[in-house]
This record gives sequence, structure tokens and C-alpha cells, in this order.
Amino acid sequence: MSSLDAHTWLADHGDYLFRVARRQLHSDELAEDAVQETLLAAIEAQARYTGDASPRTWLTGILKHKIVDLIRRNVREVEIPRDEDGEEAVDSLFKQDGHWAEPLRPWGNPQTEAELGQLRRVLDECADRLKPVMAQVFSLREVAGMETEEICKELNITPTNCWVLLHRARLFMRQCLELNGFSKAGAA
Amino acid sequence: MKWMPTCRNATELASRAMDERLPLSNRMALRLHLAICENCARFNRQLQEMRRLFREETAANGDAAGLAPEARRRIETELQKKLGS
Repeated sequence: MSSLDAHTWLADHGDYLFRVARRQLHSDELAEDAVQETLLAAIEAQARYTGDASPRTWLTGILKHKIVDLIRRNVREVEIPRDEDGEEAVDSLFKQDGHWAEPLRPWGNPQTEAELGQLRRVLDECADRLKPVMAQVFSLREVAGMETEEICKELNITPTNCWVLLHRARLFMRQCLELNGFSKAGAA
Repeated sequence: MKWMPTCRNATELASRAMDERLPLSNRMALRLHLAICENCARFNRQLQEMRRLFREETAANGDAAGLAPEARRRIETELQKKLGS
């Protein structure tokens, strides 16, 4: 493998890696760092790359680790929310007796690529609006598919804190999608 | 928890069920609630739909913006430095 490969990787897979990272890190700068660190690590690791997987799959594997590293470093810098953070927002969704304050509207049933593209954009925008730690926990779980146990360990938070953050994030995300127009009569 | 969870409790259970297997009693309580509560049943479906959308292979959403030209140049320079060293 020639040393020119790193430039080819950037040219061929840079945008892809950036989008994957952007989706989980919710920040352009962090996602750029993730791409850079991935390619630098790939240069060091290229002797071990056997070519069994496509370059994109191999690079994406490295990227996953870099994303977790960046999130871990980043989360250390932000404060873990106190338990009451976000509780008010949850309170506003329910009545005193624990029933929903407003009936949930069904989401539309996007079929065409354009509709699906629009939905994904709204999903990403809503995720970007979550509080930082909440966004990280949510993305590691829902986008990256990590187990909660692993997330707790990586971010050094308690399982209870993790569940609370995920519950709030999901309530917020659902509502954000509804407010952004995915609430036509139809499926789901 | 009482035999019948409130909607608020049910959303907690539905959320947690996305992450791990609930104890039997919680699972039964959730199932019972979802069977009679249209809102929570919808909430539960939407959580699953949301996960499906996020995890789809098209995860790297082709219409989303890619690397900015400046970032690409910066990374290019870093790679060059590394390769030259």
C-alpha cells in the first residue's frame, strides 16, 4: 500500500466520514477533528489493513473509536446535568395525574427519497438541539448502537442517570419531530 | 409502581425497554398500558421508528453537507506532515 493512500482516503471517503461523525458529535469542528484523527490513525495502522474489508468499512471502524474518544474528552468538559435539569420540560408534557397533556399526533409516512431526506434533516436538527450530554448519550445509543452499560462506563455516569437522560432525550426528540411537521394523518 | 402505570411512567418503561430487558412485572405493566392507551402505544411505535431512521445505512445522509473546503485543506496538510515525518 502506498503512502498516497491517505490522500485518496480523504478524497474518496472524507465527506462520508464527516457526515457519520457530524451526526454523532453534533458539531462541525469535532466532526472535522474526528476525520483528521481517523486518517492519521489509519496511516499508522495501514500495515495491519489486510484489505478484507473495503477501505470505507475499515476507516469507519477506526472512526467509531475516535468518535467515542472525542465524546469522552468533550463530556469531561461539560457538566453532567443535575437531576432536575430537563425535568420541567418533561413536566410540561404531562398533566399532574401522569396523563399526556396533549394527544400525540401520528407521524406521516414518508416514502419518497425527498421526504425521507427531509425527515433525516429534521432528526439531525432536533438531535443538535438536545443538551450536550443528553445529545451524546442519545447518539451513542440510537445512532451508534452502543449498549447503555458501555455508554455509562465510557462517560462515567451512573446507569440511572443514563436512563433518565435517554428518556428525556426521546421525549424531546419525539416532540421536536411533531412540531416540525412529521405529524400528518397516516402511519406510526 | 402500582398495577397500572401512568402515561408518564409508561414512557419511562417504554424508553428503558429500548435499552434492556425489563423485569417481568414491568414488562407486564407496560404491555397492559400500551394495550389500552393509544397515546403511549403511539409513543412506543415512534421510538422504534426513530431508531430505525437513525440506524439506517443511509445514516451518512447523502444530502447533508460534507467537509468544508478549509477543513479538507487543513486535514490534507496534517496528513502530509505525518507522511513526511
